[in-house]
Amino acid sequence: MASEKSDLLQGTLDMLVLKIVALEPAHGYLIAQRIQQISRDVLQVQQGSLYPALHRLEKRGWLKADWRDSETGREAKFYALTRLGRKQLEAESANWDRLAGAVALIMRTVE
Amino acid sequence: MKRLERRLEAEIAYHIDRVTQNYVAQGLAPQEARRRALLEFGGATQIQEDLRDVHRPRWLADLRQDVVYAARTLRRSPGFLACAVLTLGLGIGANTAIFSLINAVMLRPLPAVREPAGLIQISRVTDHCDACAVSYALFEYFRDRLSSVSESFIEMPIRHEITVDGVDEMVNGDEVSGAYYSVLGLAPAAGRLLGPEDDASPTPVAVISYDYWRRRFGLDPAAIGKSFTYASTTLTIVGVEPPGFEGTERGRTREFTVPLSMTDRMGGGDGRWRQEWDMNSLVMMARRKPGVTVARANAEVAALFDVWRNDKAPTLKEAFDRIRFLKERAAALPGAAGMNGLRAQFWKPLSILMGIVALVLLLACANLSGLLLARAASRQREISIRRALGAGSGRLTRQFLAESLLLGSCGALVGFSVAQWFSRALVTMMANGDDLPLSVSPDWRVFAFTGAVSLLACIFAGLAPGLSAGRVSVNPSLKEVRTGGGHRPLGRVLVVAQLAISMTLLVGASLFIRTLVKLYSVDTGIRTGGVLIFDVTAKHHFPPARSVEIQNAIVARLQSLPGVTFASAADILPLGGGLWTRRVQVDGYTFRPGEDDTAALNAIAWRYFAVTGTPILLGRDFSERDTVGSSPVAIVNQKFVRELFAGRSPLGRHVTQNDVTYEIVGVVKDAKYESLRKGVPRTLYIPWEQQGEMGQANRSQPMAYAYLARVASGDPMRLTPLVEHAMPQIDPAMRMRTPRTFQDHVNQSTLNERMMATLGGFFGLLALIVACLGIFGILAFQVSRRINEIGVRMALGATRGNIVNLVLREVAMLLLPGCTLGALAAAGLTRFANSMLFGVTSTDPTAFALAAAALAASTLAAGFLPALRASRVGPITALRCE
Repeated sequence: MASEKSDLLQGTLDMLVLKIVALEPAHGYLIAQRIQQISRDVLQVQQGSLYPALHRLEKRGWLKADWRDSETGREAKFYALTRLGRKQLEAESANWDRLAGAVALIMRTVE
Repeated sequence: MKRLERRLEAEIAYHIDRVTQNYVAQGLAPQEARRRALLEFGGATQIQEDLRDVHRPRWLADLRQDVVYAARTLRRSPGFLACAVLTLGLGIGANTAIFSLINAVMLRPLPAVREPAGLIQISRVTDHCDACAVSYALFEYFRDRLSSVSESFIEMPIRHEITVDGVDEMVNGDEVSGAYYSVLGLAPAAGRLLGPEDDASPTPVAVISYDYWRRRFGLDPAAIGKSFTYASTTLTIVGVEPPGFEGTERGRTREFTVPLSMTDRMGGGDGRWRQEWDMNSLVMMARRKPGVTVARANAEVAALFDVWRNDKAPTLKEAFDRIRFLKERAAALPGAAGMNGLRAQFWKPLSILMGIVALVLLLACANLSGLLLARAASRQREISIRRALGAGSGRLTRQFLAESLLLGSCGALVGFSVAQWFSRALVTMMANGDDLPLSVSPDWRVFAFTGAVSLLACIFAGLAPGLSAGRVSVNPSLKEVRTGGGHRPLGRVLVVAQLAISMTLLVGASLFIRTLVKLYSVDTGIRTGGVLIFDVTAKHHFPPARSVEIQNAIVARLQSLPGVTFASAADILPLGGGLWTRRVQVDGYTFRPGEDDTAALNAIAWRYFAVTGTPILLGRDFSERDTVGSSPVAIVNQKFVRELFAGRSPLGRHVTQNDVTYEIVGVVKDAKYESLRKGVPRTLYIPWEQQGEMGQANRSQPMAYAYLARVASGDPMRLTPLVEHAMPQIDPAMRMRTPRTFQDHVNQSTLNERMMATLGGFFGLLALIVACLGIFGILAFQVSRRINEIGVRMALGATRGNIVNLVLREVAMLLLPGCTLGALAAAGLTRFANSMLFGVTSTDPTAFALAAAALAASTLAAGFLPALRASRVGPITALRCE
């Protein structure tokens, strides 16, 4: 099972979080679950680093957070994308596309 | 912050609970599920800490960490902690104490006064004083013309006996002009204060201070309307000053205020003081108009005075007076801190002391820096490991700064308590046996000063070791075991710096001590030992004939007391700072224009020279036959003869002063007059009964004289109760006041010198101790580092003497540059103390030699212990250390 999982590339966690939250506001647990589910269990979020990342993003103004009732009925902290966060997400995903494309190009041509 | 913490916990708890539920749903037992969830999450505490870091600025997070770490490490070495805190505490304490005094004497604004910053003092400036008194005429001149001030007043301090409800009391007060309270912006605590209407009021009134109201009347409102007797006048109390008000002069208790017009009612008051434009005895203060700077007020005062001077100078008959007057200026000085005799007296010694304690603190810093450095050396492995783990050199430097910051805070606390005690001790010293109410309790200035000084000190002390720790490289010191000499240049530099500072302080100390010694070994021409002196007071004035009777009775009574060999009286007691000069005409001598035509004058009773032990070289002493009715005679000193009689015998020649012509009947040995420092002036002595009309008017009362009695042996103070008892018998109105020995009287005048010698010596000694500790520390450290080198040397045949020499040579190597640098610094710095020295110059070779000798002797002694230890090292022990 371990071999099927990959560590997140440094710096990509922020982008993934922004992307997940862009769909709809979510709390930490949900974000971790979504990343895992959507990547079909390939990407496993280090739970310990998720929360500092969330708080950092909130502090930078890319996320905004509020406490509201979760699906279990208990209060949880929900994160949502701000306008600034949306811009950041666009920039980062464009950047990622370029990077991924470049890496793929090399992998394909250089045998 | 609390709320944030709770939120963080809740957020994490939610996450963990969800993961747990997930596992439970997958069929795990709840406990196992929770364990897994926690494991998966990682160290919750660590994450919370990371989260906190996100929310708190990075430097703050680091700082907290550094301080906690520093506290932990410091707790582990209590010896070092105590040593460092004590060193810093003494340094900071000394600085805070001296600053508190400077603050109390010249910075702290007048309490209770409205906007003290708006006050200015308007004064004359001459060669002799920066803030001289003004005359009433000059005050009126300024008051009516100055456009830069809104209101002004004059005042004169008085000290007098008053009688309240039949009880006599010696009190201080002020005679003030009408605008006094309105310029100062005060409101009465009870009754009313004085106003312009009191300037010419026929009813004598007084205002008492709040303290006196409390002390004497228990804050009883019935005190208003009470009367008391003051200089034969009955005054009615009309009001009380607000609490906290201390008058305009520092360091003086005051009980009451009366209108300046009271001067006219007092004995001898003939109104002359209002008319004579050069009778300068009043202090003038004013309030600036809003928006007017002190500089502008000053310019206006100076310009107005120019007109005044040009107007008045031609009216002066004597060329000498004219020349002196033409050099006078006037100025407006900032008056927020009041006007201040103390400032003039203590400005110089306090500023020099400030310099001295700054050096002491510098020394303490160097010492602490050395200690930190030695600690850093013993922590090199720890530092290397931390570097290897990725600590940046900036971070390591900060770590050391945190440590010294912590030490600095502890030092500041210790220093603050030391300062409280020390500044009180200093005030007692400055009071010189008197009462000096000077508030040295810390205010914001003192707190700010201590804070700033402590911060500077710990940055200064922590920087060197911090920087050197930053330079530690990873590899060598991890590998290092105890080998080699391992010269630590920074440590040596610090010790040299300590020695240099100590040297500077020691030079200063020996200069001040030598000044005091020289001052006391100066030939005064007066034997001060075994003489009692005292003043007298009377409840009222006497008619002239009765005065003379009482004066003579006092001297006669003194003479008859058991053990008294000679008794006499004098207008001016020599060596107490007083000087009375008069213009003289000498037959056979013509003064050149502009030449000083004055002589120091003293009016004395007969047997005066027998009491002071001043030998009569030629002619005779005064006798009881030289009285009001007999022909006037005078005695002069050698200098008078040298200068005005070209050294020939003056006996039978005549000298005139104050319209009385005296025949010179004797010559006495030169005796100092004004002070130990000042040279002997040409002096003219006249019998106290032969002062002439004008002199008599002011000096016809027994209170004008000081009385002296020489005893054959023992303490002259034992006469005190006898004199006290005798005074009312001579006249019921008479009392003895301030009995003291002549020696004490002289000591009063050497206060500054004694203070500088005591404190200079104290700080010199402190510096010596610190320097010795520094030397001891670095040598002990080096010996322990070189232990196997020493072992090898011993194995190769070095004797114990050789080893001792080896270590002591090390001391000499530090001592030489330390002494030289210190001597150079001292040569540059002691100039500032030049005016406080006597009999020595600021580059006195003896003082430098003494300082160097003291430093060398004590540091070699300090080095001897480690040297001895080194010589006891057995070769085997040394090699085993490897």
